[in-house]
Amino acid sequence: MLFFRSEELVDEWCLARGIVRRPLVTMEQLWQLAVTWYATRLSPEARRPGPDEMRRIFARIGLDDPFWDPQSDTF
Amino acid sequence: MDFDTSVRQAVYQHFASTGQAPSLTQVAVELGCSEDDVREAFGRLQAKRVLLLEPDGETIRMAPPFSGVPTPHTVVVGGQTYFANCAWDALGIAAALHQEAVVHSSCGQSAAPLHLQVGRDGPEPSRWLFHCQVPAARWWADLVFT
Repeated sequence: MLFFRSEELVDEWCLARGIVRRPLVTMEQLWQLAVTWYATRLSPEARRPGPDEMRRIFARIGLDDPFWDPQSDTF
Repeated sequence: MDFDTSVRQAVYQHFASTGQAPSLTQVAVELGCSEDDVREAFGRLQAKRVLLLEPDGETIRMAPPFSGVPTPHTVVVGGQTYFANCAWDALGIAAALHQEAVVHSSCGQSAAPLHLQVGRDGPEPSRWLFHCQVPAARWWADLVFT
């Protein structure tokens, strides 16, 4: 899970490794993921989102590709 | 609060206040219990994907978003430096601590440095992108690689 300065640099990174490019995430979307996953992590009630909750979270911020499905085998 | 939750809280509070993973002994002293009790709790917390332990079964490698080992993703909050497991967790540390932060990382391809100011409501406007190679369904199959 890495940062990249541009879409072209992601393509170069994937090409160099012979792997497919995955869906790109903007910094705004990444912040939403960070808040959803970790904003309560230091509290005793903290818990990880379950599969259905993960799907809803990803969909809400526009990440609805099967790549983000925690139980998908079609990525 | 049950014992495992107390152990988890001790681990996370230690990370938050020092930027480093606590040792088994430090958690046992903090909670006034035996190291064996803490070791067993660490194992249960790993089974629940709360912690990732080194093969010795007692050294904390990850308590997401915190890393117990140095990484290329650092987060500075109020003069304290934290290591994040990945780009996502770098923002995650700022979100978990609810404080202004500066994320220091770099471009995965060009190695250009990233210095990102993160306020309590999110990062400054940025055109940088995040890319994850491993599908969500496989994240925990090899979390260090992910």
